[in-house]
Amino acid sequence: MAWKKPTLREVNG
Amino acid sequence: MSVDPNEKPFLPRGVRLHFDKVRDDWVLLAPERAIRLDDIGLAILNELDGERSLSMIATSLAEKYGAPADQVATDCVEFLQSLVDRRFVELRQ
Repeated sequence: MAWKKPTLREVNG
Repeated sequence: MSVDPNEKPFLPRGVRLHFDKVRDDWVLLAPERAIRLDDIGLAILNELDGERSLSMIATSLAEKYGAPADQVATDCVEFLQSLVDRRFVELRQ
C-alpha cells in the first residue's frame, strides 16, 4: 500500500 | 495546542480504536463521538504508544511505506493536529 494523505470522517445521531 | 514533532502522542483515557462491523471500517471512538479512519490514518494511530515522539513515528512510517520522510512527517502532523483539536489525541513531552 502506498502512502497517501490520511483523511478523517466524523460520524454523525 | 499545536503539535510539536518532538512530543509523544497517545490516545487518552476513554478513546480507543474499534472495528465497526456495521460500517466494515475502523473508527476512533470517544464517548459519544466517533471518527472513521482510512488505512493510513489507522496505520498512524496504531503507532501511538506515548513513548515515541511524533518524529520517530513519522520516520518509522516513511521507512515502512517507502515514502519521502518530509511528506510523511507533514501529513502526520496535520492529521494528529486535527485529532488533538478534537481531543481524540493528547501529547506528552
